[in-house]
Amino acid sequence: MQARIKFSSKRFLLALMLCACSIILLQNDDLAADTSFTFQLLGILGGLSVCFVLFLPSLFIKIRTDGDVLQLAERCTPRAKLPLAAVYSCCFVYTALYFLLPYTEMFHTKYFPEASPCLITVVLLACCVYAACKGVNVISRFGVFLFAFALLTNILMFGGSVSEVDWGHCTFALRGDAGEFLQNTVYFVTPAFIIPIFACLSGCVSNFRLRQPVFALVFTGIKYAAVIFFICFALGDYSRRQGFQTFLLSRVAHFSTFAGIESFYLALSTMAVFMILSLLLCCITKSVGRSGELRPIILFTGIILALDVAATYLDPVREVLTNPLLFVVLTVIPAAVIPMIWYFIGRKSNAPKN
Amino acid sequence: MKYSVVEIKTNLERQFAQSADLTVRELTLNSDACVKALVLTMEGLVDKEQLAQSVINPLLPCEFGSMAPSAVAECVFRSVIASSDVTELETIDELITYLTSGFAVLAIDGAEKMYAVGVQGYAFRGVSEPESEVVQRGSREGFSEPLRVNMSLIRRRVKSPELVFEQMTVGSDSRTQLMLCYLQSKVSRELLATLKERLNSCDLETVLASGYLSDYLEDRQTSRLFSGVGISERPDTVCGKLTEGRIAVIVDGTPAVIIVPRLFVEEFQGVDDYSNRTYYAAFVRVIKYISFFTAVFLPGLYVALAQFHPEYFPTWLLISTSESLAKTPFPVTAEVLGITLVYEIMKEAGLRIPKSLGHAVSIVGALVIGESAVTAGIISSSTLMVVATAAICSYVTSSLYPPIMMLRFILIAVGGLTGLWGITLATAVILISMCSKTSLGVPYMSSLAPFSFKRMRDVFIRASWKQLARHTIRVQRFPETEVTDAGKN
Repeated sequence: MQARIKFSSKRFLLALMLCACSIILLQNDDLAADTSFTFQLLGILGGLSVCFVLFLPSLFIKIRTDGDVLQLAERCTPRAKLPLAAVYSCCFVYTALYFLLPYTEMFHTKYFPEASPCLITVVLLACCVYAACKGVNVISRFGVFLFAFALLTNILMFGGSVSEVDWGHCTFALRGDAGEFLQNTVYFVTPAFIIPIFACLSGCVSNFRLRQPVFALVFTGIKYAAVIFFICFALGDYSRRQGFQTFLLSRVAHFSTFAGIESFYLALSTMAVFMILSLLLCCITKSVGRSGELRPIILFTGIILALDVAATYLDPVREVLTNPLLFVVLTVIPAAVIPMIWYFIGRKSNAPKN
Repeated sequence: MKYSVVEIKTNLERQFAQSADLTVRELTLNSDACVKALVLTMEGLVDKEQLAQSVINPLLPCEFGSMAPSAVAECVFRSVIASSDVTELETIDELITYLTSGFAVLAIDGAEKMYAVGVQGYAFRGVSEPESEVVQRGSREGFSEPLRVNMSLIRRRVKSPELVFEQMTVGSDSRTQLMLCYLQSKVSRELLATLKERLNSCDLETVLASGYLSDYLEDRQTSRLFSGVGISERPDTVCGKLTEGRIAVIVDGTPAVIIVPRLFVEEFQGVDDYSNRTYYAAFVRVIKYISFFTAVFLPGLYVALAQFHPEYFPTWLLISTSESLAKTPFPVTAEVLGITLVYEIMKEAGLRIPKSLGHAVSIVGALVIGESAVTAGIISSSTLMVVATAAICSYVTSSLYPPIMMLRFILIAVGGLTGLWGITLATAVILISMCSKTSLGVPYMSSLAPFSFKRMRDVFIRASWKQLARHTIRVQRFPETEVTDAGKN
């Protein structure tokens, strides 16, 4: 019923910001080993600047047409609908798996070794199908509650880690070279996965302002900086040898005898992955032109599940599906290249004919 | 069309199959043509003394001379019937509706119209304080069963001509009367039209309570776990809601008045909040929210922690809980589910048991099921305490009891099967379901999601009246609402 209504752009960007912020919870520390904290901050700045540049084409489309790239493509080039849907669907399926696989791995290895990773995926995807059927408006409403919970979890995680910070080793010297800067920048470009979602779904929102995505990226940067700071100075070298450093941070955090903050971390990462996957399924159904319909959602969920099972048992598949460079490429295409092409096509078709 | 009293009598006797409560009094009027008349009533629904004083006594000595039947009827209507509540009837269906509602119907042979005279005199429960919505500082009046009494209770509080009562009938057999009640200038016409359309779509044969209509008023394709239809037995609550652009549906024969649209945050607002001091009202609101979350999540979380993550219990609690659980023969999930189920059975029994036996059952419940079961090692004391705490908390927001009870069972099962992870996912699904729900086009979670900072002054806290008075609330102006504002119609 509420699918027809345009909802607040602020809430949509809040949901995207939560997705971008939460993804660090699932990331392994792939930063260059010998770089200092200050140098990593530069990496955050570089990564998020790239994100902002990638954001620009979809922002231009939103500002000029008050629609999204799919609506623009449907209007200007109806024949390109099918290839466009195919490209977007592939990219979104890849993105879904890129986050689903580390999540199930983290859950399986760190938290609940007895649980089967496939079972975790099936249950999680079933819940995502339900959410995707309700539409992006409802998912963004859910984001309001998730924001409150994320705030609480971050306060507990960072507040509880303050006592563990080794202030004596807090140095802000710059240490690193150009190659390491590039490596760190690629790592911090990961939140760019929200841009294709924005490009696909921004037609459903109203009252868009340019400051909203800027604020989302700035907030994401602050969250990244905070996580990196605590990993550097509260966990130290110990974390380098471990995966899922944010999980370790939540496990180390405590207030006197009150510990167990990793349960909040688990809940937040589960809800974040749930929201990301639901939004991606919404994007897929929107790109195939059947928003909120159960059949395409189930079809693409089946594809995601099949690939996830394949990746669980076949290492080459896993390597392909978790390749950061491939992820960046498959993010840049739907985030910037396609919107830019249709932005110019749209301008051309709207240009006055002499 | 001219009516013959013989035809009317035969028709009614056939339709009512000579029912014992149909009373037909035949009269011959003082006229040259000896015009016949019928006074039709239903036994037990009319006040006989009032009927005699307002209809029969003035009618019998009256001289009509050579007047034609239609003129006799007009004369009776204009100058004989001593009642202010007289309605002209033209069809037999109308006659039956009024007759069964407690009116006396006067039919004059050869006249074109019949007259329904309001002489209702059936026994009904007086206006008393509703047991389910007791307040400390507010009116003690609650709705009663008769429709007209309930209308008067609202009219006494809202003396504006803007207040409108619109009559409808539902139920093909029961022909239950109901009144749509709203403030003309504040209601959305679209909302009103939608409500009428849904009530007209009601194809029930019998409507005996307002709850029968709830299903017809809910939006399609939205979750039915929480209700988008509000119920109140308090006239002051209904009047407050009317000023916000809502519509009340008063159903004859029930004190529970329907209010639509209904939002989630309203479940935590009480009449006393607006009479108490601001800080105390805010404190009570917070208590209510905490109680709601405790009632829903505590047993599920306890099961998940005890079964999958006992390391999260503080050491002192872990030792006592483990000792207590180790003594019992059942797994903790079965134990919590069992005690919760027994509690629900006891609650149902307690509601229906005669008051004189209530104390005995309480003693049996507390001593036998509670203390003896713990002493015998059938259930653990910590489990009993968790279930009891959740049970008490669920009554703080009693209108939410059905969803709280269902969610509690679901979360216990999910927590027992999948631990905290399952509870997290279940919570996400529940939130999605709640966020997708609408009540007549208004998002059920309005004020929270879609979030409105302005409306926060009456959600978790209750701001002072001076602050509340600065902004008027209209449901149709809530963000992402599918109905238009009254002013835009």
